[in-house]
Amino acid sequence: MARHNAQHNVRRGGRNTETVGNETEREERDHVVARAVDLVKTYGDADNLVTALDHVNVEFERGRMTAIMGPSGSGKSTLMHCMAGLDQPTSGQVFVEGLEVSAMNQRQLTRLRRQQIGFIFQSFNLVPTLSAEENILLPLQIARKPIDRDWFDQVVRVVGLEQRLTHRPSQLSGGQQQRVACARAMMARPSVIFADEPTGNLDSRSSREVLGFLKQSVADYGQSIVMVTHDPRAASYADRVLVLADGHITQDLDHPTYERILEVFADGTGDDGADA
Amino acid sequence: MIRIGLRDARAHLGRFVMSIIAIALGVSFVVGSFCFREMMNNQVDQMMASNSDADVYVRGSKEQKGAAATDAMGSSGSSSGSDSGGSSETKTYNRIDISLTDTIAKVEGVARAEAVYQVSGLVLVDKSGNAVSTMGGVTSSLGLKDGTWRSASLVKGRWARTKHEIALHTFAAETAGLEVGDTTKLVYPDGAVDVKVVGLFSTTSSQAGAIIIGLAPEVAKDYFQQQSGQVGTARYLAVYGSANGGQPLSEAQQQRLADRINEALPAGSKAVAITGQHVRDSNAEATKKALGFVQPLILIFAVIALFVGSFIIANTFSMIVRESMRGYALLRSIGASPAQVFVTVVVQAIVLGLMGSLIGIGLGWIMVKGIVALMAHMGTPMTGSSNPSVSDMLVGLVVGVLVTLIGASLPARRAAMAPPIQAMNETVNPEKPVWPRGVAGTAMIVCGAASWVLCWRIAAANNDGVAVSPWGWLNDAASAMGTGWPLGVGAGLVVIGVIVLAPALVGPTSVVLGWIPAHVFTVTGRLATRNLARGKRRTANTAAALFVGVAIVSCLGVVASSAKASVAGIVDSGLKSDFSAMSASDGRIPDDAIEAIRKTDGVGSVSQSRMLMGVTYGSGDDRTQAMTFAEQPSLFTKVFAPVTHAGDADKALRDGELVVGIAVAKDNGWKVGDTVRVNGRQVVVDKEATAKAQAEYQAQVEAKVSGLQAEAQQLLASGDAAGAQAKASKARQAAEDAKNVDPSTLVKTKTTLTHVKVRIGAIIENSVYRSMVLMNDETAGKVTNEYTMFTIMLFVNAARGEDLGALKARLIKAVKPYYVVNVQDREEFKSTMSTMVDQILLVLYALLALSIVIAVFGIVNTLALSVSERTKEIGLLRAIGTSRAQVRGMLGIEAAIIAVFGTVMGMVTGVAAGVVIRAVYEANGLSSLSVPWGQLGVFLALSIVVGLVASVSPASRALRQPVLDAVAAE
Repeated sequence: MARHNAQHNVRRGGRNTETVGNETEREERDHVVARAVDLVKTYGDADNLVTALDHVNVEFERGRMTAIMGPSGSGKSTLMHCMAGLDQPTSGQVFVEGLEVSAMNQRQLTRLRRQQIGFIFQSFNLVPTLSAEENILLPLQIARKPIDRDWFDQVVRVVGLEQRLTHRPSQLSGGQQQRVACARAMMARPSVIFADEPTGNLDSRSSREVLGFLKQSVADYGQSIVMVTHDPRAASYADRVLVLADGHITQDLDHPTYERILEVFADGTGDDGADA
Repeated sequence: MIRIGLRDARAHLGRFVMSIIAIALGVSFVVGSFCFREMMNNQVDQMMASNSDADVYVRGSKEQKGAAATDAMGSSGSSSGSDSGGSSETKTYNRIDISLTDTIAKVEGVARAEAVYQVSGLVLVDKSGNAVSTMGGVTSSLGLKDGTWRSASLVKGRWARTKHEIALHTFAAETAGLEVGDTTKLVYPDGAVDVKVVGLFSTTSSQAGAIIIGLAPEVAKDYFQQQSGQVGTARYLAVYGSANGGQPLSEAQQQRLADRINEALPAGSKAVAITGQHVRDSNAEATKKALGFVQPLILIFAVIALFVGSFIIANTFSMIVRESMRGYALLRSIGASPAQVFVTVVVQAIVLGLMGSLIGIGLGWIMVKGIVALMAHMGTPMTGSSNPSVSDMLVGLVVGVLVTLIGASLPARRAAMAPPIQAMNETVNPEKPVWPRGVAGTAMIVCGAASWVLCWRIAAANNDGVAVSPWGWLNDAASAMGTGWPLGVGAGLVVIGVIVLAPALVGPTSVVLGWIPAHVFTVTGRLATRNLARGKRRTANTAAALFVGVAIVSCLGVVASSAKASVAGIVDSGLKSDFSAMSASDGRIPDDAIEAIRKTDGVGSVSQSRMLMGVTYGSGDDRTQAMTFAEQPSLFTKVFAPVTHAGDADKALRDGELVVGIAVAKDNGWKVGDTVRVNGRQVVVDKEATAKAQAEYQAQVEAKVSGLQAEAQQLLASGDAAGAQAKASKARQAAEDAKNVDPSTLVKTKTTLTHVKVRIGAIIENSVYRSMVLMNDETAGKVTNEYTMFTIMLFVNAARGEDLGALKARLIKAVKPYYVVNVQDREEFKSTMSTMVDQILLVLYALLALSIVIAVFGIVNTLALSVSERTKEIGLLRAIGTSRAQVRGMLGIEAAIIAVFGTVMGMVTGVAAGVVIRAVYEANGLSSLSVPWGQLGVFLALSIVVGLVASVSPASRALRQPVLDAVAAE
């Protein structure tokens, strides 16, 4: 199912970029679900300019989990927000499935969120007045899409929430809440899920559960995930780890181990210190 | 800390706007109501001072009960113009003999003593030929000559001397467009007469729109005696003291004069002298009491506004405190005490309260000025001061600031209690369970409903004589209480009970009310419904503003519509005649008009309802009064179908027996078959006395003429030809004047008391006749005669096959010269009542509009708070694909449900109260129940619109928040 869906998206992505590039380019695009081109984001006025992203170029591959790491103020959250259309870049372009997110108006953004994007936030992921099941189905209902019950059962089974569907968020533990959030993000089968510190508020056991589920969804269903985290342990679940510092991508690691990440991170911060 | 508070207040000014408006509205109503009351009181005092300006009044010494009704109906005669306001609260005393004036005049220090006669029901015709009428309503006609009314002074011309002359109060002249020398018509009780305006006079205070006509004293006395059915008596004699040379006496002087008069009064006179001040005070008090209902009515809306205001303030401060929590935590962590943090919030509240109150005081002032201007525009000029006193302003200020402080205190406490390191978790504290309020509210409503049931039983007991309850002690208590108390207590308990209960209702109601939106707009509807159940107290309080307003309006709506329906019911079911004719003034239809109607082409038959003046029943101290009418025997077959309680009404009337209204029968314990003594009066011309009076007058004139002629002769003899000429012409003039004197003013009458025993033939229940006694003309002729009986109403049946429209036109033409007679067909007869009711409703709608405005503020504010609390949640919804329209829809549905919730609660409570009131006052004419469903439906639809409108601004605010800000991790 997921494969089919991904292919569907691929086709659409291809069609959209047809006018832009040649055949080889299209081939390349097919395994890219989202990309940023020369992305710049600054805050404040001329006197007090803060550059959060400094001409960032990056591509996120389909069917992989990419972690974005970096110290506070490195621009990792800003990058994700710009990618997801939550924030408007100062210059540069953002594409998701070949659609230019950075040029979209509110209506188009809403459609993008309904069709292409899933979110998992650090906290406050769920609507407190709705039960777990209603929360999971919410994106489909908002978009007035038909509900695929088989898929729902499958997702719920994977996240292990069969017994908890009628509970309100306040009756669920933090880990359970995040798993509901994951299930919700999965439910609409978006092209890409953006997860902002999904384990930031969780204990290590709950973190493992949530990360395990995310990894499984990538492995089993080919889900593309972009995750911002400052936790090396969480990042070690990812297929690829990008490290940001001062608005630049400083490292791009493929399937790094936990130790490797720790090492790089220690260097990165060390470098920062030396630069300063 | 105070400085931080002030700085915060300045920063938050924009958010305070709504709170300030609410407080200002509330305060303006408080100040306005006080101010309005004071203006009315001031006006009443002024009018009392100028209209009851005698230094001493002499009145009867024995208080009379039950007489007020008949007097108010027929005429009102007092020695001054004092009862131009509602005099129903004034005590009535026995009448005293006017011959006492001679005795009093001889008392030392008395400048003059006399009875001033007031005649009601005269109608002045203005320059363009229409009857003069103003909002102030009453036309009062007094017998005036030099000195009878100290506060009235002639501006131009002279006082009236004959039936064909009048002096007019300046306001009356202005309203009628008449000048001295103009000729117009004045409709006396017995018909229209051409009169000449001979003078203008002014009074020291404005007369609140009353039209005052100065008649010749003798003419006024005549009509007064006709109307009251009593000759040679008056209710008051006015006495002016001479101590200050024409100026009013001081209170002590008044007292001394009154004491002297009391000494001089003969023992058997049953009269007593009291100071003018005393009379003015008690009259003013009675009038003020009668007007007193206005203020509580305004105050109810002030309370609503302030309730909502305090609530809006609490919400606003909750928002501000929530947003500033980190700041407070910081203050605490650098050593500020909770009290200091509390102060920073409270200072803002005080600033806000002061601003709102000051604006409110200004608004209240403007409001009263506006009312005064409006009343003047509608013909009721007021000279009472309409400026708020310092104490009014202080009350407004204190109320405004207090309400603000109450609203701000809880959020301020929350701020003060913030731990130095505040964990900014967004988990909303779960609400305390609402079931205790549900239980308490239900208990109160049950008590209130029980009180209503009791009230209804008492009313039923009064009407039908059934026991209130099976328990004796309750029956005793109930009969002591009457219906007013249980009705009021019940209403109070139910209203407060509903407000207490409301939070417990929010859950179930939002499910029920949310059913439609939840099915039409699956997601947004469901989200909206669930959100409401989150802050049950808040939702309920927000709805309460609408609840109270709608409850009042729908209660009165039911009563009003029932009143209309009842009248229509009488007409539809009972009235058989085609037309009715009434006097537009106070009741009497001139005999000529009756004749004109009888002679109109196409009239089949005319039934005449004549009221008998001063009839009493029984003997000795047990005498009771009842409105008594003389009717034609055909009444029950041609005019009104009787609703018989006992006996055969038609037969009884034909046989000359009494037909008694059920209320009268109950009061007196009369049954069919009883024989009662009917006491009446007949006024007959005393031929002997009249002849004597005419002879005396003749002699007087002759003496004067011959005196003048003698003087002329003397002057001629002494060579002053011009002087002699003048005297001679004066003599001729005197003789001429004597010829012009209306001989009727010299007619002397005497009263004979009559006592007739009549059997009660039937008791009827028709609501029009409930409190009347009917007899046929023949029986009435034995009790009274034409001097003490006059026509109140005519019922006209058309001749068979007559075109009603054409007949109506002919009838109207026939009575046109009498100005005061109104001919109505059946539909118009119904609508007289309806128009009146509709006018009252109009005022209600204005008040409803106001409470809606206040309620909108409340809803806007609650939603704004709710949105600020749910910033993250709304951001999340947006992030997962909720469109802007869907967010707006969600908030719109929330607001609409709140509004509908309040409206439905208000309607249910209001309609219930209306139904109870209708049942209780069934005997007073509210015979059929009518619930204005259409109107209620409009309210309901309106409430949805109100909710949607209220949601616009909070929704925009929610959408203005960037999604990112809402969801970004802290």
